[in-house]
This record gives sequence, C-alpha cells and structure tokens, in this order.
Amino acid sequence: MRESRLMLLQYITALLAVALVAVHLLTQGIIYPYSTAISFGTILSLYRNGLYAIFLEALLVVVLVHGFNGVRIILHEWRQTAPWSRWVDIGTVVAIVATVAFGSKTVILAVFGGASG
Amino acid sequence: MKDLKLVVQRFDPVKDASPKMVEYAVPKREGMTVLDALLYARDYVDHSIGLRFSCRQASCGSCGMKINGRPRLACYTQVEELGGEKVVAQPMDNFAIIKDLVTDLGSFFDKHKAVTPRLVREDGEEQERPTGEYLMTPGELSKVLQFTYCIKCGLCTSSCPTVATDERYPGPQALTQAYRYSADARDQGGAERIAALDNSHGVWRCHFAGSCSYVCPKGVDPALGIQLLKRHVMTGKPPHAKDEASKVWKAPESGR
Ligand code: SF4
Repeated sequence: MRESRLMLLQYITALLAVALVAVHLLTQGIIYPYSTAISFGTILSLYRNGLYAIFLEALLVVVLVHGFNGVRIILHEWRQTAPWSRWVDIGTVVAIVATVAFGSKTVILAVFGGASG
Repeated sequence: MKDLKLVVQRFDPVKDASPKMVEYAVPKREGMTVLDALLYARDYVDHSIGLRFSCRQASCGSCGMKINGRPRLACYTQVEELGGEKVVAQPMDNFAIIKDLVTDLGSFFDKHKAVTPRLVREDGEEQERPTGEYLMTPGELSKVLQFTYCIKCGLCTSSCPTVATDERYPGPQALTQAYRYSADARDQGGAERIAALDNSHGVWRCHFAGSCSYVCPKGVDPALGIQLLKRHVMTGKPPHAKDEASKVWKAPESGR
C-alpha cells in the first residue's frame, strides 16, 4: 500500500481514537461513578450492552491500528534496509491481526456469556 | 579594537584520527563577516585551513557551515551579531567532512536531482524546441516564488533531525523543490515526483521539527513546502488549479 494511504489511515485513526476515548471516559464518568467504573460487574454489564460492545470493538481496532502503524513508522526510521522494511511491514500486519483477534475474543465471549458476573 | 577569537574545527580524514579545535586571533574590523575572519586566518595565519566559498553575497550557497552551533552562511553572518568576541566555526552536520569546514555535498545534490527539479511537460517536442513562451499569472508565480529562492546551500539539510537518522530521506531541500516544480503552473510532472516520494522514507518522514525553516538564509521556509507537498501527495491532485492564462502560448516576436 502507498505510504500516503497508510498515513491517511494514521490520521483518521488518530482522530477517531480521540473521539472514542473521550466518549469512553465520559461514559464511565457520567453513567457510573469512577470508583465503581472498573469493577468486574460494571464492566461485564457494559460488555453485554450490544451498542457498547460495538463501540468497544471499534475502539480496540482504532487504537491498535494507530499504535502498531506508529511503531511501524518508528521502526522504518530506525533501520533502512529493504529486508528490514519488509519484515517490519509483515510484522505490523501480523501484530494488528493477532491483537485485534485476541481483544475481539474477549468482547465476543463477554457479549455471548463466556463470563459471568 | 580587541582581536576576535576565531575557533575552527580542523579535521583531515586522510591524516587525522579525530577533529580538534584550533584558535586563531583575528583583528576585527567594522562589518566583518565570519567568512572575512576565516579568510584572514587562512591568508595570514594558517594556509592549510580548508573552506569553501565563492560569491561572498549569499547567492551561491558555498560557505554553509555551523557557526556558534547553528548552521549559517559564513558570508552572511556578521561577527558583531554573534557578540563580536568569539566565533566557533565547524563543518555542517549530516554531511561527511572532506577537510575542515568543507563537506561533501554529493548525496545532497543526488537527492535534489532525484526529484526531477525541472519543468516536465507532456509536449516534449515543444519543450525541446519551444515556439514561444508559457506565461504565468502573478497568482501562479506567487504560489512558487519563495521556493525558487533556494540557493542549495544545504543548511536546512544539515539541521534536519530526520536526515540525521534516515539516510534515504530526501531532506528538506529536495522535498521543497519537488513541491516547487509540482506547483508550477507550467509543469506536468507531478505524478512522476509523487511516485518517487510516496514511500516509507519519503515525504512522510518529515515530523515538522521546523529547524530547516529556522536556519534557511533565504526565507524559503522548507517546512511549509514539505507540508504543502504532503497535501499534494495525499490528494494526488495538482497543488492548485492552474489558471487558464498559463495555457496561452505567446508567439515569439519576429526578429528576436
Ligand atoms: S531551502 Fe534554504 S537552507 Fe535549504 S538549501 Fe535552499 S536556501 Fe539553503
């Protein structure tokens, strides 16, 4: 993919991450007091709210794509050989897919009752 | 008037293991530039000081060096503006040293050439053997004018932190010239330049430190040029709508 497309993705995910994290923090602060916001029961009830689960999944994808793409950029600057660049690109895709899959598993299991509160 | 303390970094890679700082006493005079001081030291104290210069009027870009820690043109820097007591002259960073203050600008010019710094047109025959002139409107000229002031001194490149860490990065001068030609109403080579710069070591590696614009002696503002180039590369469109007036050929007057 052209670097300009990846940078566009980086800018879009940055903006989305700011918006989603803001919504996440505000939701936690407004709906629940912060003192109980990270209790197991509260989190599980949030996961079981379908809309909120979709929101969390979006947050997961946006933050991971932005974060790993950022690390990719740093690693490209760190060394400049062609094989290194190729492996960095492959590693970035693998890291994103693996972590999104792992995070999604948590969301899906919570939504469909893989854990109980 | 008290003598100026001129400290020059001396280093000959063929003979020396490491650079050393050598101090020269130079009689000051009103209006003295750092280049004047260096030439005095070279002509009257030590003929072996290596330095490069030509026009002495900030036009040729030959005498770029690090003066009191900042990249500057020696001919364009007055001793008095540095306090008038002590001047430290070192070669520019980010370039290999040939000798003392003379650096190797080979890679700098290679990168400049790599962005096709000339007008590229589809009507190649016309470009080779023009039958007239392509005119620019004042508005079109103003879009590129400041970027045409570049004298290729290399100061921006020597100050750039990305150039220091990524040897494949074209650097602020080359990127600004890529924009300068792509934004020229007479040019049709934008796509060719984009292809060469839209990669992981190209235009996107600029993190907008802004040091290039800070040190540029000609007011080119390379950091601005790079940001405009990014927009051009991102959208794939010409930097601006080319005015119709620029498409008009002016027939050469007879007898010219
Ligand atoms: S942009 Fe400025 S600092 Fe850079 S080479 Fe041109 S004149 Fe020198």
